[in-house]
Amino acid sequence: MNPYVPILVIGAIGFGFGAFSLIAAALTGPKRYNRAKAEAYECGIQPSPQAAGGGRFPVKYFLTAMLFIVFDIEIVFLYPWAVTFDKLGLFGLVEMFIFISTVFVAYAYVWRRGGLEWD
Amino acid sequence: MLTSPKLDYALLAPILIILATAILGVLVEAFIKQALRARLQLTISLAGIVIAFEQLYRVRNQGSSMAAITSVSIDGAGIFLQGTILVLAFVGILLIADQDHFAPQASALPGSIEEAAALESGRAQTEVFPLTLFAVSGMMLFPVATDFITLFVALEVLSLPLYLMAGLSRRRRLLSQEAALKYFLLGAYSSAFFLFGAALLYGYSGSLSLNGLTDAIHGGGGNDVFLLLGIAFVSVGLLFKVGAVPFHSWTPDVYQGAPTPITGFMAAATKAAAFGATMRIFYVGLDAAQWSWKPIISVIAVVTMLFGAIAAISQRDIKRILAFSSIAHAGFLLTAVVSLNQSGLAALLFYSVAYGLATLGAFGVVTLIRDSAGEVSDINRWLGLGKKSPLIAATMSLFLLSFAGIPLTSGFVGKFAIFSAAYESGNIYLVVVGVLASAIAVFFYLRIILMLFFADASNDSVSVVIPPLLTRVAIFLSAIVTILLGLAPSILFDVAQNFAYFIR
Amino acid sequence: MDVSNYVYLSALLFTIGAIGVVVRRNAIVIFMCVELMLNAANLAFVTFSRIHGNLSGQVASFFTMVVAACEVVVGLAIIVAIYRSRRSASVDDASLLKR
Repeated sequence: MNPYVPILVIGAIGFGFGAFSLIAAALTGPKRYNRAKAEAYECGIQPSPQAAGGGRFPVKYFLTAMLFIVFDIEIVFLYPWAVTFDKLGLFGLVEMFIFISTVFVAYAYVWRRGGLEWD
Repeated sequence: MLTSPKLDYALLAPILIILATAILGVLVEAFIKQALRARLQLTISLAGIVIAFEQLYRVRNQGSSMAAITSVSIDGAGIFLQGTILVLAFVGILLIADQDHFAPQASALPGSIEEAAALESGRAQTEVFPLTLFAVSGMMLFPVATDFITLFVALEVLSLPLYLMAGLSRRRRLLSQEAALKYFLLGAYSSAFFLFGAALLYGYSGSLSLNGLTDAIHGGGGNDVFLLLGIAFVSVGLLFKVGAVPFHSWTPDVYQGAPTPITGFMAAATKAAAFGATMRIFYVGLDAAQWSWKPIISVIAVVTMLFGAIAAISQRDIKRILAFSSIAHAGFLLTAVVSLNQSGLAALLFYSVAYGLATLGAFGVVTLIRDSAGEVSDINRWLGLGKKSPLIAATMSLFLLSFAGIPLTSGFVGKFAIFSAAYESGNIYLVVVGVLASAIAVFFYLRIILMLFFADASNDSVSVVIPPLLTRVAIFLSAIVTILLGLAPSILFDVAQNFAYFIR
Repeated sequence: MDVSNYVYLSALLFTIGAIGVVVRRNAIVIFMCVELMLNAANLAFVTFSRIHGNLSGQVASFFTMVVAACEVVVGLAIIVAIYRSRRSASVDDASLLKR
């Protein structure tokens, strides 16, 4: 069998599930319209207005973006580790544990010093 | 078949302890309340450095082993330089402990209400301790790294905290932030050159390690364009870090703008680390291709020595004078690099201790001379200081004499060792230029000493503050070592000679 | 296609970045040029890895990416601090330290 067939099947199931959920929700759910629903969706937080005098984003976006980059890029080291996990054995597990804990130390610092508070 | 690698934790212990201490410092910042932090951070940092040094002392005789799958080579020169960096970091942290030099809250706008409030509440940016330790761990890794990935990572780990620390000054904050910006942009530019050079050398040899590079040069067959361009680009990155002409332009600005204890630490410890790595790359990796780089590096050494000595004459700011003096010293150390012999390496090891401690001491003295607005670095206002506080002025003179290389100070022994190594390797012209540059430099060092002692006191209200205990200890230690190594150099010089070897 | 073309491309990108750092005046743009140089080095690493048939170059590119991300964070923090205190990110305005 062509190895791509299972992928196609998974794709079809995923598409079907999405379509089913949308149609089922549209047919069975209650329909109430209010202002909050009409607003732009920003991850569930209050949409912040445009800054006065032309479209500069508040500096807090920048802080969040920086934190995201730092924590996000660590994933790069997880992929090769995951691929060779069974060959590296306990050594790999311990080293990765140390690595992740150092990342968590940075996270704890950001959290305690208020880097994650939006306002 | 892949097997799990061996890291040899025992050999890496000094670096790992410093890193662990830095991470502990970050946790302290996160969970301990403000009032206790400064004292706790200081204790933890000093304890970490002492323990790391003890571990280093333990492995001292295992020199000549490779660790971390041959990425790190714990050999004589590496161990000596790591020890040097730990000693310099210890003294540097004693200076940094005086929180009066640092902004209470670096994120507050200069002159804003938040800043005044932070100052009022006695806050302090105690992050400077973990940042210092992160920089120290990078510095310790840089001279022992034997492949280009490790070299690049170490280079960045030592640089990134320094960029931030340069911008933390409490007074003249705009100047300090500007120094941080310049240091960062030029530093990032030069490390990009280093990285591209490493990529080209990898293209030449097919291996990232220095040994693989040597083998490829011996074997021939690679594309020489990659080799030559790679050497050139890697050299740009290294020469920038050590502050050699024509890549020196950041030095005076950053030295002037950064908080003075940071300047002292950066000047002393970065030089030791960067010259260690430079020496290893040229000695272990590129020795076989010395026809291609030795003439150019020699010319750069000559220009650097002369430029540093001549440009310092017209300066009026003590921190800029010390910056140009550090450029001249970079030239002397490059002379040791191009000697390419064992005595050159021994001289470089000795010199990095002698120069480093004198630098820390000199910047320590600069932190003490203040008026109501903070430090006074304009030397015209230092006139007649020797009459007001003879002890401080005499200590400063001692450090300046050591920079100048006057006999009976450590600087003389260092310079003598470097020049004799250059003579041994047949580079007579480097010796001539070096002596000439030293003679020029003596002029402006002596001028400062004359201003301190033989000029009438100006009526500017410059005063010497009563030094905080730790600053006093730092200056005292530096002064003692400077005299001791001048009177009895063999204490350290024999050790340096025993440790002056690289392994492949 | 000849693999060595990628080496030429990376050299070209590196040159564009290096020239950009020298001629541009905005700290952010200078910084973007530095990032372009790092990515050019990455491309060179991966290309040489392919040419030599070993994986060291690809490993190097991983480390470069992570280091570049850290550099972004430190650099942007410094640039934002400068911008907030003087309302300008031009490197020509940052000239207090010139004599």
